[in-house]
Amino acid sequence: MADVLQLTVVPPPLPKSWSPQPPPAKSLSPLVDRKLIAAGPAYLAHVRRAVHNLSFEEHDK
Amino acid sequence: MAINGTFPNGSANAPVEASSQPTVVGINFGNSYASIAEGLAESIANEDGERQIACAISFHGEETYIGNQAKAQLVKNASNTIVGFRNLLGKKFSELPKDKSTTSAPIIQHPDVPDEPAYKVQVLQASPSPLPPSALTTKTNTPAVSQTATPRSEPAPVDRILTPSEVATIFLKSLLQSAEDFLGKKVEGAVITVPGWFDEKQLAAVRQVAENAGINVLQLLEDAGASAVTTTAGPLADGLNPDRTQLVVDLGASSLSLTLLSIRHGLFHILASSYDSNIGGDQIDDKLIKFFAKEFTKKTKTPLTVCPSTDKADVRAEARLRLALEHTKRTISASPGAATCSVESLKDGLDFTGTINRMRFDMEARSVYSAVYAKAQELLASADLDFLHVDEIVYVGGSASLPGLDETLAQGVQESTVTPFTAGTVIGGGIGDPTTLLARGAALQAKLLAQIGHSGEDEEVRKAFEQGSTWVRAKATTRSIGILFPEESSDAELGGQWIGVIPRETAVPARRNIAFDVDLGEDGGPHRVGFEVWEVKEGVKVEKVKPPKDEDEEPLDEDEEEEEIEVKEKTIEKEGYLASVVVETKNAKKQKGRWRTRLEVQFLLGADGSVEVSAWEVGTAVSGEKASVSVPPL
Ligand SMILES: Nc1ncnc2c1ncn2[C@@H]1O[C@H](COP(=O)(O)OP(=O)(O)OP(=O)(O)O)[C@@H](O)[C@H]1O
Ligand SMILES: [Mg+2]
Repeated sequence: MADVLQLTVVPPPLPKSWSPQPPPAKSLSPLVDRKLIAAGPAYLAHVRRAVHNLSFEEHDK
Repeated sequence: MAINGTFPNGSANAPVEASSQPTVVGINFGNSYASIAEGLAESIANEDGERQIACAISFHGEETYIGNQAKAQLVKNASNTIVGFRNLLGKKFSELPKDKSTTSAPIIQHPDVPDEPAYKVQVLQASPSPLPPSALTTKTNTPAVSQTATPRSEPAPVDRILTPSEVATIFLKSLLQSAEDFLGKKVEGAVITVPGWFDEKQLAAVRQVAENAGINVLQLLEDAGASAVTTTAGPLADGLNPDRTQLVVDLGASSLSLTLLSIRHGLFHILASSYDSNIGGDQIDDKLIKFFAKEFTKKTKTPLTVCPSTDKADVRAEARLRLALEHTKRTISASPGAATCSVESLKDGLDFTGTINRMRFDMEARSVYSAVYAKAQELLASADLDFLHVDEIVYVGGSASLPGLDETLAQGVQESTVTPFTAGTVIGGGIGDPTTLLARGAALQAKLLAQIGHSGEDEEVRKAFEQGSTWVRAKATTRSIGILFPEESSDAELGGQWIGVIPRETAVPARRNIAFDVDLGEDGGPHRVGFEVWEVKEGVKVEKVKPPKDEDEEPLDEDEEEEEIEVKEKTIEKEGYLASVVVETKNAKKQKGRWRTRLEVQFLLGADGSVEVSAWEVGTAVSGEKASVSVPPL
């Protein structure tokens, strides 16, 4: 199961005038190369998902 | 070292746990001190009750001392005492700095091996059948007698040549022995910490040495990794997010290592790091030695010139003070009261006892604290960050136990920044104790590795922990991503309620789930919740402001300008709109005249840079329908 972070913020009601903007033809800003430290349970899980080609949800099971 | 002595901190016959898990340990192998731990428990004490074991070996006649007893030999038997050998592992003789003066055993070119450094010490050896120096058969490698049948004659002084690797092997062997004696079990594997700046040759040398010492090396783990493992184990300290930027301040005896880590739900990578071998506990010692030497002279009218000292009596006095300070510094770290420094027969047969309070101590150590501060500032700047972005400071290394260092760094960071001192985890061998953090992290890592099975797929997973594995390569985000709840007339920075979900420098793939209540207003509905997904850029705003007027303050003279102070603030700025999500709510409940519902939002960041955002109502009833949007891959 995913960890759910319980927050205390309470967003206000939606303005009447708001309507969803169409998504622009835009993706995320470019990613950068990083080197993970090969340690800890999260790295183990990261590798297990990658080795077995599992999604987060599949790995939860 | 009393190999067969008593065990003040444990028993040699500890009950063997009925567990299928192998006994594995973590070894913090520093240049000055080493320690061992099993699991998260406080580190293991050796026969002499020491948990911080000096990386020192000393030869005295037919005796071999290891650890803190060996360090004590620096006073009268310095030329046969070997320290600082870890940093020589994997180094050629020609690569070593030649100008370093040392009072301990001299480093020479090995007489037989080209370009190999070696230590030359004098030992007493039974003649006429000396043992070959490479026969590492006894526990401490004492050139002991009983190994040969030859009748013992008068031992004769001989030179003994040892390479740094041989010294390290003897040392690690003894360390392993202590741990096994303490645990009452054979140690089946170990994770050993290494500096992040060690190159491949140095790492290979450490591995070789450990294997020579009979250690099954599960992994060589860089210091920052070991500390990250410890600090992400167990419950989160108040005010900490599982996604955070951590500054690891490792202040040892002869060096300062700084590492800026991106900690993302237990995954970590280094944003920037620096190493300086001119800042460390040794510098603090120099200041204190001068301080106490002055006291001594004041009290006894006996001149004492130290740091540097040349006269033989002064050299010894300095060495004695240096040893005694270990206790003084630990007292200062452990309690707010004054600490003493006592040396029997410091010089000319005169005993000395001096005291120093925390304020004075910090005054003496100030230059070192400030140097750490400056280096930290430099490091942050190199990563385009500010002290404001440091969510947590972690202290590693003996000298980082000094509260004065934390007080100095506190002046730079935000009040909300968590340090082990503010969290109260340093005292009493808590999880934040800088002297045990590395061994504990290595021990946890050893347990993790020992749990991986042995199927074909598991072997593949295990390889991901090997040096040079390609699994460590990852892509990370460069902008923070979150959701914006638009507001009619908002003076908020982004025109509404902003909730950051995935901070920049998060390795992909990543998943984040958050839940929170949403205010739906007074009207009866139907209600809908809508929010926008944005990328934002983080920065720092610096403003010069006049300090708040102090009522009691004297009015300033007319020509005197009121001095402005700098106020820094974190900022976020819209970078790019990604998508909108709308959820029709069905579970809203009325509370004090207003409708509310609870929403869970999930972000899935793919390895290809795609983003999927879903939101649904959660509550006592069944979870609501999922509304999802996707942002295409890069
Ligand atoms: N509780 C304490 N309070 C203050 N200083 C301490 C404390 N414990 C150890 N020290 C000092 O910390 C230093 C040793 O730190 P550490 O064990 O981290 O060294 P190391 O990593 O082996 O050293 P190096 O920097 O040489 O690589 C010594 O100067 C020692 O006197
Ligand atoms: Mg260290």
